[in-house]
Amino acid sequence: MLQIEHLTKVYPNGTVALKDVTFTVQDGEFLVIIGLSGSGKSTLLRCINRLIEPTEGRVLWDGANITRASPAELRQLRRHVGMVFQQFNVVKRSSVMTNVLSGRLGYVNSFSSVLGLWSKSDRERALKALERVGIADKADNRADALSGGQQQRVGIARTLMQEPKLILADEPVASLDPVLSHSILRYLEQLNKEGITVLCSLHFLDLVHRYATRVIALKEGVKVFEGLPKEIDRAKFKEIYGEEAQEVRATTVEEG
Amino acid sequence: MAARLSSNPSKRSSITAGLLSLILPGLGQIYARQRYRGVIVLFGAFLAVLIAFWYGVPAWYAAPAVLWLWNVWDAVGAARGKLRSAFLPLLALLVMGYGIGWQVTGIDFSALIRNLDRATSIVIPMFHPDFFSGVETTNSAWAPVEVPCGPNPPEAVNTVNGIHVAISPNCGKLNQELTVQASGLWPDTPTNIQWATPIGDILPLGKGFITDLYVTTDAQGNLDTTIHIPPSALSAAPDPTLPLEHRIYLVQSRPRPGFQLSENGGYVVQGIIQTIFLALISTTFGALGAIPISFLAARNLMGGHPLTLSIYVIVRTLLNILRSIEPLIIAIIFVVIVGLGPFAGAIAITLHTIAALGKLYSEVIEGIDPGPLEAIRAVGGNWIQMVRYAVIPQIVPPFASFTLFRWDINVRTSTIIGFVGGGGIGFYLYQWIIKGDFEAVSSSFIAIAVIVVTLDFVSARVRARLV
Amino acid sequence: MDARRFNLRRWFVTGFLLLLVAAAYGIGYRETEINPVKLITSLGKSQAILNDLLHPDLFTHQTHDTTLDIVFPVPCGSAQPTQLPDNQAHIFANVACANPGDTVSVSGTGMQPDTDVKIQWLLPNGNALFSKLARTDAHGNFTAQVQVRPINTTTGGIPSHLQALTAVPFGGLLPSQALKDVINNIIVTVFIALLATTAGTIIAAPISFLAARNIMGHSRLGTSIYVIVRSILNITRSYDSLVLATVFALWVGFGAFAGVLALTVITMASLGKLFSEAVESIDPGPLEAVSATGARPIQVVVFSVVPQIIPDFISYIIYHWDINVRISTILGFVGGGGIGFYLSQRINVLEYQKAGTAIWAIVLVVWAMDFFSAEVRKRYT
Ligand SMILES: Nc1ncnc2c1ncn2[C@@H]1O[C@H](COP(=O)(O)OP(=O)(O)O)[C@@H](O)[C@H]1O
Ligand SMILES: [Mg+2]
Repeated sequence: MLQIEHLTKVYPNGTVALKDVTFTVQDGEFLVIIGLSGSGKSTLLRCINRLIEPTEGRVLWDGANITRASPAELRQLRRHVGMVFQQFNVVKRSSVMTNVLSGRLGYVNSFSSVLGLWSKSDRERALKALERVGIADKADNRADALSGGQQQRVGIARTLMQEPKLILADEPVASLDPVLSHSILRYLEQLNKEGITVLCSLHFLDLVHRYATRVIALKEGVKVFEGLPKEIDRAKFKEIYGEEAQEVRATTVEEG
Repeated sequence: MAARLSSNPSKRSSITAGLLSLILPGLGQIYARQRYRGVIVLFGAFLAVLIAFWYGVPAWYAAPAVLWLWNVWDAVGAARGKLRSAFLPLLALLVMGYGIGWQVTGIDFSALIRNLDRATSIVIPMFHPDFFSGVETTNSAWAPVEVPCGPNPPEAVNTVNGIHVAISPNCGKLNQELTVQASGLWPDTPTNIQWATPIGDILPLGKGFITDLYVTTDAQGNLDTTIHIPPSALSAAPDPTLPLEHRIYLVQSRPRPGFQLSENGGYVVQGIIQTIFLALISTTFGALGAIPISFLAARNLMGGHPLTLSIYVIVRTLLNILRSIEPLIIAIIFVVIVGLGPFAGAIAITLHTIAALGKLYSEVIEGIDPGPLEAIRAVGGNWIQMVRYAVIPQIVPPFASFTLFRWDINVRTSTIIGFVGGGGIGFYLYQWIIKGDFEAVSSSFIAIAVIVVTLDFVSARVRARLV
Repeated sequence: MDARRFNLRRWFVTGFLLLLVAAAYGIGYRETEINPVKLITSLGKSQAILNDLLHPDLFTHQTHDTTLDIVFPVPCGSAQPTQLPDNQAHIFANVACANPGDTVSVSGTGMQPDTDVKIQWLLPNGNALFSKLARTDAHGNFTAQVQVRPINTTTGGIPSHLQALTAVPFGGLLPSQALKDVINNIIVTVFIALLATTAGTIIAAPISFLAARNIMGHSRLGTSIYVIVRSILNITRSYDSLVLATVFALWVGFGAFAGVLALTVITMASLGKLFSEAVESIDPGPLEAVSATGARPIQVVVFSVVPQIIPDFISYIIYHWDINVRISTILGFVGGGGIGFYLSQRINVLEYQKAGTAIWAIVLVVWAMDFFSAEVRKRYT
């Protein structure tokens, strides 16, 4: 269980990105965070694994206080929290294999990893992860030889290496076209069904309806909605996205 | 010629503008709210007057005068909201610039023609590169002579390699005539007759004792001729009255099929090898030096704190200063400090390489994608793992590519660093050019072209793979 | 089993390569005669030089120069010593004459207080022999011990003079001779770069079309011209401008003209190659479009090729202008004119402050030109 309590983030330049945000995520949920660009979604997700230090409030995970964790404890915690990024964040000039293996860094010692020495079991695990996302044949390619959708799959394979209990996905499909969006989100859905909790920020409402088990909406750093996807009606939508907003659909391709 | 000013028609008095510009060029334009134009006019006029003044040739004042007059007209136009074409003053400045340039650089195309004989004396030997020489076999013998005569001079007869040489008389004083007789030599072959002093100086015996004396043997391989004892035979002797044994050498040589590296060819090879290693060593040390420095010169790493920011500014400034000083200039200073030789050249090229690569590397660092760094932190990687898996993969290929590019440049620089005593082929090349030995110059030109073109090609291939 | 053998081979190859690299550096270390010890032992020398370079000779004061002079016969009786009136500035020795090897005490009175005094012998042959530096006290007096040398002996009835020289600065700062020379030379340097870049560009522009595959590659003759021109450009490019400058200096005589010629040739070769690459990378679409309208070949060039290559050409010209400014600073080392000649002369006679003036001028000019061309590039490309 992940508990976010009174989380506030003020950037050094004075921007208040999060204001007293509180909510709880049960194990096994697929929680989607929606909100306009700049509403604080990325900040919220990064405060959970402390890529960004929250200003106030705390994050508890199965009772452990992430916000208070020492650097060593934090690394211990982080290796069970996978993260998927909008810009994929793969190293373009490294091979796909190396990128996937780097997901294991929290488990191995610095010395052998700096020399690039990986155990056989790690290599096998990486190949399996690549098989799961369907790009095992690309293992020896350089990452920049892959398309955007394939790079995002590398990103997911990298989180699989962590054997995560929780996945934070920050707009994982915002840089992809609609068809690819579904294929990526289906991998996340699959992982969710296997028991991994997923926190995912999304931009398109139709994707929210399709994948989310529960939704949180942020507006200017404040939580303005928490509930089931089907509760977001036209009025709620206008409230979250502003008066002029039109509902945009990610895709017209109907999924069976 | 005059276009309407589209935006912001000025409501300034055209008389005031004209007067202001008459006093100080550009002032009227600034007054008429054409600030940028005014500053440029001011700067141009200032420069033109300065240069005309410096060279003191009255004709050159024409250009600033044209500029000045035009500027008044332009200021009036600016005040009325019109843009005047700057063609005339630009032309005047251009004429002045190239005219003075022509003058101060002493351009004299007639010298190209006048000294055509020099050019031919340079170019023709270029077609006979001194790289290989024919192989020769030699046949030689000698006999002793005592100078000056002592109480009992040794027998002036000797047999070497089946060649019998006899001199008579067996001793003598300076300039005295001697008869040289020899048998068993190669028949019908020119034979060089030389004088060797006791300390091993070889003196020629031809006309005036400055050219070689050649005598051709007869069909039986015999030789009979007279020589004179060279007047300088005793010049190195500590005591000219002390009788010492000198020698007369007979040397025959015949070409043999095949080639060998000539003496200068050997220097070319040696110089080229030194050049390549000079480039290798200075590129390596330069790159090694540039790596840590580039981190200090990267704004994204150093911009956070006033202290680190000032380090950044200082490092950047030093790099810029060092980069604008050519390695050759650094080399002449280091030749004074550590002495003539490739070490001075290596230091100079290394320093310049540090400056040039330091800047390029730091730009690479400034351009790295922070995303992967965040990803490694998110999986629980520590700092060193982040550097290994997110920073190094991003910077190594461009670093390597820039380094190879520098290596190309450094090979070229290494060919000339020897001009000031910094080692490599340039050291020999410069001497040969000054001496006028253009056959040797030609062989070094060929060697340089081969090496530079080959290395360029290889590094272009490698670089294409890296990016 | 298989994997292990593969690994063994890899280790072997890696080891061999490492050995090769180590050998290369070993030879390189020897060939370049690297000597870190020398670098440290010569630290004192380099410090002195660096100090001079950091204090360039920029300004001088105007000075009042005065010379006080007495005849000092060596040995005694070989000439008549001078007597100077007591009421004005003068110098005197404690003895009127002396023999070689003696030490005499020289004093001066009535001089400018707190000023450096240079004491020297004016020899019978007219040369000056520096002896000692002294300094006057607050009352304008000084005393110094001077050695009498055999060379001071009166020859041919002409005695040696003992002189005290002072140079008292007055008035404001004046640009020093070094500064004037440097400015003159640096202007020549910039003009060498300007003329060479201009001439090189004018020649390179037409040649580049002959070296562009897409223009020349359509016929056998065209291809062979392409190959020949390309090869000539590549070979010429492999020489440093300095090499050519030496040759041209022999041909047309030492001076800036030789430098201009050498730099022009290199610029032509280098720009010729860059230009031809720009020509090769043009988009054939517009060519087709203009040709399709029934335009003649020259019209095709003017309306579809030229507009495409102009921005590339301009940026290459600016790039080469920067390089040429740098190179023209060293052309003078080999007789190519410009600041390099002045600089190498000054270093040869160990005048490092003047060399420093030249080096700082180079830094400034290269910087200014870099800045200038960056501005132009921002505006026009
Ligand atoms: N590093 C930062 N420094 C200052 N302000 C930031 C920084 N990152 C984000 N912000 C600001 O915080 C707010 C929330 O940003 P973010 O969390 O990225 O929103 P979202 O992901 O929903 O688009 C925005 O106003 C943004 O401008
Ligand atoms: Mg975001």
